[in-house]
Amino acid sequence: MKTFLAQLAFDSKRLVVRNVSFIFFSIIMPAGFYLLFTKIMVSGSAAEIKQFNLTYMGQMIVYSVLIEAFFSIASILRRDREKGLTTFLRLSPHGTLPYYTSITFWMLMMSLLSVVVLGGIAVGVNGVRLEITQWLGLIVVVLIGQLPLLMIGIALSHIHREEMLSLASNLLTFPMALVSGLWWPISMLPSWLQAIGKLMPTYFVNNLLNELTSRAKVDLTNLIGIAVWVLLAGLVVVAMTRNEQRRGVALGEA
Amino acid sequence: MHTIIRTEHLKFSYGKKQVLNDINLTVNAGEIIGLIGVNGAGKTTLLNILLGLLKGEGAVSVFEQQPGSAISKARIGSMLQGDMVVPGITIADLLKLAAAEGNHPLATNKLLKDLRLEPFKTQRLGSLSGGQLRRVTFAVALINQPDLLFLDEPTVGMDANSRKAFWDNIEQLRQEGKTIVITSHYLEEIQQIADRLLILQKGRFTFDGSLQQLQKQHLGATITFETDLQLPIFNGLPAVDRVDHLKHKLVIHSTDGDQTLRALTPLLDRLHQVSVNRESLEDIFLQLTQQEAN
Repeated sequence: MKTFLAQLAFDSKRLVVRNVSFIFFSIIMPAGFYLLFTKIMVSGSAAEIKQFNLTYMGQMIVYSVLIEAFFSIASILRRDREKGLTTFLRLSPHGTLPYYTSITFWMLMMSLLSVVVLGGIAVGVNGVRLEITQWLGLIVVVLIGQLPLLMIGIALSHIHREEMLSLASNLLTFPMALVSGLWWPISMLPSWLQAIGKLMPTYFVNNLLNELTSRAKVDLTNLIGIAVWVLLAGLVVVAMTRNEQRRGVALGEA
Repeated sequence: MHTIIRTEHLKFSYGKKQVLNDINLTVNAGEIIGLIGVNGAGKTTLLNILLGLLKGEGAVSVFEQQPGSAISKARIGSMLQGDMVVPGITIADLLKLAAAEGNHPLATNKLLKDLRLEPFKTQRLGSLSGGQLRRVTFAVALINQPDLLFLDEPTVGMDANSRKAFWDNIEQLRQEGKTIVITSHYLEEIQQIADRLLILQKGRFTFDGSLQQLQKQHLGATITFETDLQLPIFNGLPAVDRVDHLKHKLVIHSTDGDQTLRALTPLLDRLHQVSVNRESLEDIFLQLTQQEAN
């Protein structure tokens, strides 16, 4: 427990408190988008605006989690391997379990922080009202929904060159956000692009959030979609890790 | 004597490239081992196998355990190549994390003071110089009071004062009975500190013994003196490899110091300020590696 608590304290500093890029890209930027599109670039009837304030909050929460997984986590894990931190922990008596548990814990906390910040703006600025059960449900959906994104982020972290990782993160994040309807309604896209968008993990998570906030019936297809993505991305992560260990690449620079 | 490390017929290859071949090694408690070899000789690979990061063929035990077991990990401190420059983290943060891995860590402040790192303890790792980072890595290796230390190129990037302080620390660890395996390209430092030298060439140990034993196998010497005699006279003496002018002195490089000295005896009254130096570890190592290259 002492080791795990020390790891938590260590990671809290580098992942959250002293991590300017996380604060900016995962919190301030989605919050800025939310304010921009709900307070400044506003159109439609009062009822439509009210609905948009709610759905766009969900979309920006998913976008925040997406950025966090594909940029922050992928880059942190890659850097930890490159800088020898992972090797150092592998050589310690407690191994890397406290490290991975701590990273996962802080990922969850970062996602919760996104919910708190964006939810806070939605309530405080736009007067969005949800019942406590809906807020709790929203948190559960975000926590479950981030799993496939986390897996993809871990897979991305196996890209060794920093510039390649940055390129891959950009090439995945923005098209995925666009085609799965996080920036504007998916119905505005061509039908062939909609077909692709409706297979994205972010689409399933966003759908679940919409169903939850609008009190619609939960479509199990969304949960199945998330589960399939977790499974597929998990298999890719296991295969990549084994391949690296076989080649001895996991030693990083140490 | 208590055996800390034992390998028998250890082999390791990266794909088809054989890196270690039939390595037999026993390291006893309290020994300071200098592991030397050219780049790519397999030194770091051997350390990684002993640490349990890589798996070789053959028998390997550390503290009578499989490498990488929790028991052996708890008793080993490692200073590997490369330093952990973790963004957003200070020296104190890193040491706190490392200390939480052991049951009886040293007091952080004392350790920082001993390693002259106290003034920087709240500084981020990214703002430190190469030598300071190396000392931080040394502090991390020491904090849990290990019985066995692996030091891979420990003084790279350190200035002269830091290197001296580092070797003083190693001397103190020797007094405490620690077992230490060091690899370094600074052979004059290894020569000063190691009880035993292991020379790794093409994946095998070509020498295992003390510096004195190594020097017995290599009889070369450098003889320096002042004289009014002409240089060509000395070129013809037995075992003389080369004669150089060094300011107003002559320097004879001999492949057999005893033989050349005997031949110099009749000329002694014409020689002044004579000094004889046996070949250093670096000289011998260069000869060995040149032979290997040829």
